[in-house]
Amino acid sequence: MTEVPKIVYDRLRAALPERALSGRAEPERAHPDADLLTAFAEQALSATERDGVLEHLALCGDCREVIALAIPAADMVPPPIADETDRVRTTVSRAGAPAPHKLSFAWPSLRWAALAAGVAVAAAVLLMHPGKLNQAMPPSANPQIATAVPPASGPQIASSPMDQSAPLAKTDEARQKSELQLSNKLKAGQVVTRSLQAESGILLAGNKKDSAQADKLSAAPSAGSRTFHYDAPAGRRATETVEVSGAAAGVALAPSAEGSLMARNDAPAIEKAKPALQGIEATERQKTESAVVPAPARSQARNVMSVAKLASPASQTLAQNVTWTIAAGALQRSLDGGQSWQNALRTDHPLLCYASHDEDVWTGGQAGTLFHSADRGVTWVQVQPSIKAQALSSDITHIDMRSTAEIVVSTSNDEIWSSADGGKTWDKK
Amino acid sequence: MPRSAQPGQGADVATALYERSGAAAYGMSAEQFATILDEILRKYLSQDSAHASADQKADFCAGLHLEELALARACAAGNERAWQDFISRYRQKLHSMALHITRDGAHAAELADSLFADLYGVNARDGVRSSKLVSYIGRGSLEGWLRTVMAQEFINRYRKQKRTVSLEEQTEEGVQFAAAVPEPACASDQRLEAATDEALAELSSEDRFTLASYYLDGRTLAEIARMLRLHESSVSRRLDRLATGLRKRILAGLRMQGMSHAQAAEALETDVRDIRLNLRSRLTQDSGAKTFPGGKVPEQDAGDRSHD
Repeated sequence: MTEVPKIVYDRLRAALPERALSGRAEPERAHPDADLLTAFAEQALSATERDGVLEHLALCGDCREVIALAIPAADMVPPPIADETDRVRTTVSRAGAPAPHKLSFAWPSLRWAALAAGVAVAAAVLLMHPGKLNQAMPPSANPQIATAVPPASGPQIASSPMDQSAPLAKTDEARQKSELQLSNKLKAGQVVTRSLQAESGILLAGNKKDSAQADKLSAAPSAGSRTFHYDAPAGRRATETVEVSGAAAGVALAPSAEGSLMARNDAPAIEKAKPALQGIEATERQKTESAVVPAPARSQARNVMSVAKLASPASQTLAQNVTWTIAAGALQRSLDGGQSWQNALRTDHPLLCYASHDEDVWTGGQAGTLFHSADRGVTWVQVQPSIKAQALSSDITHIDMRSTAEIVVSTSNDEIWSSADGGKTWDKK
Repeated sequence: MPRSAQPGQGADVATALYERSGAAAYGMSAEQFATILDEILRKYLSQDSAHASADQKADFCAGLHLEELALARACAAGNERAWQDFISRYRQKLHSMALHITRDGAHAAELADSLFADLYGVNARDGVRSSKLVSYIGRGSLEGWLRTVMAQEFINRYRKQKRTVSLEEQTEEGVQFAAAVPEPACASDQRLEAATDEALAELSSEDRFTLASYYLDGRTLAEIARMLRLHESSVSRRLDRLATGLRKRILAGLRMQGMSHAQAAEALETDVRDIRLNLRSRLTQDSGAKTFPGGKVPEQDAGDRSHD
C-alpha cells in the first residue's frame, strides 16, 4: 500500500469533529442519529444525505467506530459460488434480510464459472463414454453425485423446482409398474435406467409409497454401488447419475415419514463416533433403522471427537432453501424462509455463531465448541482445531467460510484459527 | 405526508401505508400511525418540507421500514403483543450482536441486558416510562438500528470504564506511563500545512472517510470495504490512488506558493516529524544489536514500523 506523507496524518488528525459540526444549529443533531447511521450502513440514504453523513464521518472518529461496529459480520463475506438463496451467512442471524447488492458482482464470475464447469463436465462425459450417453455409467466411474441438471443432490430430488415443474402425466398404474421394475432391478443388482417423468412421479408420490420404495432400496444388495440414470426424452433432456453405496441408498431416497419437517422441533441426539474398525457393525445397525445416516468419509481424516446426527428420518430430506440462526445457544434451521424454526444442533456448551455455504455448515460456541456438517445439518461432526498440542479452547465468536475448504474461526481472545482444507489441518495466528 | 397531502390522494396513501405496516395488529389506529409519520416527516424534511410535494413525502414514507416502525412504536406504547413479537424476533439477536461487538460473553450479556432495559423503558421521566424505541424512525432496518444503538452504547461504556480506571489498577496491570512526547523543536512549514489542507479539501467526503479510516483508525481493507459496500480490491486501489494523488497535489500546492520542484519535494519528504521518527527507529535498531549480542533483538516500536 502506498504511504501518504506524514503531514497528511497530522492534518487528518487535526480535523476535529467540531469542524464537522460547525454551522449546525441544533445541538442534538451534532452527530447523525442511529437511524441515519443505520440507513447509511444499509445504503438506504439518498446521495445528498449520504454525502452529508460521509462528511461527518470523515471528521468524526467516534461515528466511524460506531459504523464499523454496527455493520454485521455477515456482510463481510462476499458471495462466492452459491445461489442467492443459500449464500454464505455468518455469525449474526439475518433471517429474512435481503442483501441484493452482493448478487450484482457475484453473477459475472459465477456465470463464467458455471459455464466452465459445464464444459468440463460435458467434455469429461464425452471422453469417458463416447456414444454411450444414454446408457448407465459403470459404478466405479463416478464416485460422487454428478449431474447435468441444476444442483440437486439425492435428498433434494423430490423438492427441486425442476422436478416439480416436470410434466407428471403418468397414471398410478404406470407409476406402480415403474416402481415394480425399479425394485426388481435393484434386487437383481442391475443398473436401472428410467425416464425422468417416471422417476419424478415416484419421488413425488405420497409418504406411504415413498416408505415402501425406501424399504425396497434398503433391502437391496449393498455389495458394490448402484447407478441410477435418469433420461428425459422431452424437450428438457437431462441426465442425472447418482451413485448410491450401501446405507446412502436409504438417505438418497428416504422419505419424509412424518409428513412435515416443520412440526419437528427437537434437538438432534448427539452420539459418540464409533471407531473406523467398527464400521461394519455400525452399518449393520444402520440398515435396521429406518433412518440411515452416512458418516462423512472425510471426517475420518480430521480431529473427530463425536458425531451428532438427527434422530428423525424426516430431517434427511431437506429443502435447498435452508436458513440458519442461533437461538438460546442452539443452532436452528428454517426450511420456509424463517416462518418456522427447528433445532438443528444443541451442544453441551451454548453455540454462538455459525457459517453456511451450500451444504456445508459450521457452528461454534463456548469453550471451543466447533461442529461441522457437510449435508445441511443432517449429520454433525465435532472438530477440535489444534496445532502443536495446543487446542482451541476459548469461545468461538465468529466463523468465516470463504469457500467450502477455507474456514476462518475467530475467538473471544482474538485468536484466529484458519483451515484451508475443510478443517483437516489448522493454523493459528 | 398523510395529513398534509391532498385530501383524497393523501388519505389513500395513508391508508395504504397503514395497511402495509400491519400496525392494526398491535392495536394502533390509522390516525396514530399517521401522527407518527407526520413527526418523522417534520424531522427529516424539516428544511424542505415547505417545498416537498405530496409525492415526495409519499415516496419518503414508502421507503421506510413501516412494519418494523409499527412494531417499535407499538412496543414503546407498551403493547403486549408487540413485545411478544419483538422478543421472539430480536431478543436472541441482541445477544448475538452484543457478542459480535464486545467479543466477550460476560460483557455481551451485560450490554444486551442493558440495552433491552433501555428499549423496554425502565427509566421513567415525569412518571412516564420512556422507551428508546420511540426514537426508531424506520429509515434503516430495526435490526440494524439496534446494532447501531448497541455500538453507541458500547463506545459510551468503554469510555466510561476507561476514564474510571485508577492509576493503581493500571500500574498493577503493568501499564507504564511514558513521558510526554516533546513538541518538535521547530514547527512544520505553514505552507506545507496549507497545501495539505487544500489537497485534502479537494477530495470527496468518501475519499476522506476512506483515508481517515485506514490511516487514522487503522481499519483493515475488509472493514472499510464493508462500511462502503465495496470490494476490498477497490478500497486498496482507491487508497493507492489517493496517496499518489495527494502527494502530487501537495507538491503542486507548494510550487504554487513559490517553491521550486526540488524545494517542494524536500519540504514534503523532510518534514520534521519524519526526522524524529527515523532517528528513533535507527537508535532503537542500533542499541538492540549492541545491547543483546547473540540474544533476541527486541522488536521495533510498532508505531515506527507502521510509519516506515
